[in-house]
Amino acid sequence: MLPLYLRVILIVAALCALAVVSRQVKKEKLLIEDAVFWVVAAVILVIVAIFPGIAINLAYALGFMSASNFVYMVIIALLLWKVFACSSEISRLKVKVNELAQEIALDHLDERAAREELAAKAGVSVKKDADTPDED
Amino acid sequence: MRVLTVIPAYNEEECLEGTIAMLEERCPGLDYLVVNDGSKDSTRQIIEKNGFNGANLPINTGLTSAFRTGMKYAWRHGYDAVVQFDADGQHLPTYIPQMAQVLEEKGADIVVASRYLDGTVKPSGARGAGSRLITWLIKLTTGAVITDPTSGMRMYSRKMIELFCKGFDWAPEPDLVAIVARKYGPVVEIQAEMQERQGGESYLKLGNVIRYMSRTCLSIVMSRFLR
Repeated sequence: MLPLYLRVILIVAALCALAVVSRQVKKEKLLIEDAVFWVVAAVILVIVAIFPGIAINLAYALGFMSASNFVYMVIIALLLWKVFACSSEISRLKVKVNELAQEIALDHLDERAAREELAAKAGVSVKKDADTPDED
Repeated sequence: MRVLTVIPAYNEEECLEGTIAMLEERCPGLDYLVVNDGSKDSTRQIIEKNGFNGANLPINTGLTSAFRTGMKYAWRHGYDAVVQFDADGQHLPTYIPQMAQVLEEKGADIVVASRYLDGTVKPSGARGAGSRLITWLIKLTTGAVITDPTSGMRMYSRKMIELFCKGFDWAPEPDLVAIVARKYGPVVEIQAEMQERQGGESYLKLGNVIRYMSRTCLSIVMSRFLR
């Protein structure tokens, strides 16, 4: 049996999560594509809370002591997976940010070199003009 | 052979001018690139005031990314080798021509300027112990003997320059030396002396040494199986 308190907590937590996620999306702090995970997770929790039979049958089929243990384990596994996905995404973002910084630095350097080259050429011709009267 | 000296600099206002002066005096005509890694002090102003060949990263991205900037510059400008050189003045430019010669003659992919190749005993304390441990781990996982794996003065071949630019996780650190020794060309060492840093603050406090050593050791072991 899935205890009543757990079912209530699941529903309340899921509704809170939905509220927070939709607020962040509206405030343009979360992309829809990243909100999908949380919405789906919240919906699953609500379904499990409303139809505890699903969790109970699965738990006993897989040999869990109780349905609530099974629900906890599924949530923990989901969160661990999500944290790992975040970690890997951060790695990729780090590389991308560094890449951008490197390209900006190199672009500026090339630009400066080109400008100096141009200035040097201009400088040489100006100097020649200035030198001519002296030689006369 | 065209060699580029890449000098990553993060908050090095105290020593940068001295280091470049030494480089230009001892190795006239040697190309260099200072990579200012988003320094918070006046490193950028010093580069501009002196007209150094310097690239300025808009944010602080870490040594690996700063060095990669230099590698990209070397790759795009057709250099044959890059030497990694500290901005704090502890590396002596005198060894650069010798490193280039060894790189070419032995067909090496990395030449390391080693403080201990001639049998000099490593210092006691955390840094010496860490260096011994890394040498042992590299020997264990790759069979190569690198007497001074933590030496920051290394020369890389053109093949390495390309891999640094195009690879995903190439950091100028001891664990990479181990990977190169195992999977790419030979890693050769030459005997070299180094100075104390000429100013600024050392990164190698005890806490940092322990963190650096454990990260490096774990990375060497993990690289053996994963890369």
